Amino acid sequence: MKLGVFLSEYRTGADVLDRLTADKLGIIFVGNGVYNAAVKENGKASSVLEKKASFYVLAEDLESRGFTAANVDSRVKLVTYGDVVDLIFNDYEKTIWI
Amino acid sequence: MATKKLGFVIRTMPYKIEGSRLGMTHAISSQTVEIYLEDGDMVEPVVCFIGDGVLNCLKNQQAMKHYAITSLEQHIKNSLLLDLNVLICKEDIDKLGIKEDALIMDAEDIGGETNAKVVPYSEIQKAMESVDHLLFC
Repeated sequence: MKLGVFLSEYRTGADVLDRLTADKLGIIFVGNGVYNAAVKENGKASSVLEKKASFYVLAEDLESRGFTAANVDSRVKLVTYGDVVDLIFNDYEKTIWI
Repeated sequence: MATKKLGFVIRTMPYKIEGSRLGMTHAISSQTVEIYLEDGDMVEPVVCFIGDGVLNCLKNQQAMKHYAITSLEQHIKNSLLLDLNVLICKEDIDKLGIKEDALIMDAEDIGGETNAKVVPYSEIQKAMESVDHLLFC
């Protein structure tokens, strides 16, 4: 299964992610989920980024919260709404929101 | 003549829920109740950002551009324009790896003369103890 996961929370949802398995897993940070891509709490990046997956962060939600691409972890790709639509249609068979 | 002190402690992240916007709006609007008070009576609010709430204080929020809503940055600047006491927890910005120069510390661009202050939690605790009413949001 090719699974796209929208993560809109910070500090929660990792437990669900840990149980998910997929041949191809994509995690798209949206809403407050963008803090997983941009904040280093106690100097450490979010544990979600240790998952074997492709990571994306929605630029609009990132910029609305005062961050720029410069704040984003190197493992995460900055995407626009248009890019997210392409991911849904071209890269992932199923998508879920947690 | 009396001064009522109000404390607004903002601990929630911006945008997804309305907690922080609610706190800021109440703090700003608290200034308008003076029209209902006796001469000489005053309301003195203090706004404190703790925990994840400090994420409201980041500069360059593009909420108007992307969501077509007023940013929390603008609310904080409006608070400073009204000379509200705005305190940001030092321990929490350090924990989240946020540098002080990334924070909204003044509202000079809209004519404000008051600055926000980054303070240790102990000062926020003192502020909470000194107020008559406390709202956590």
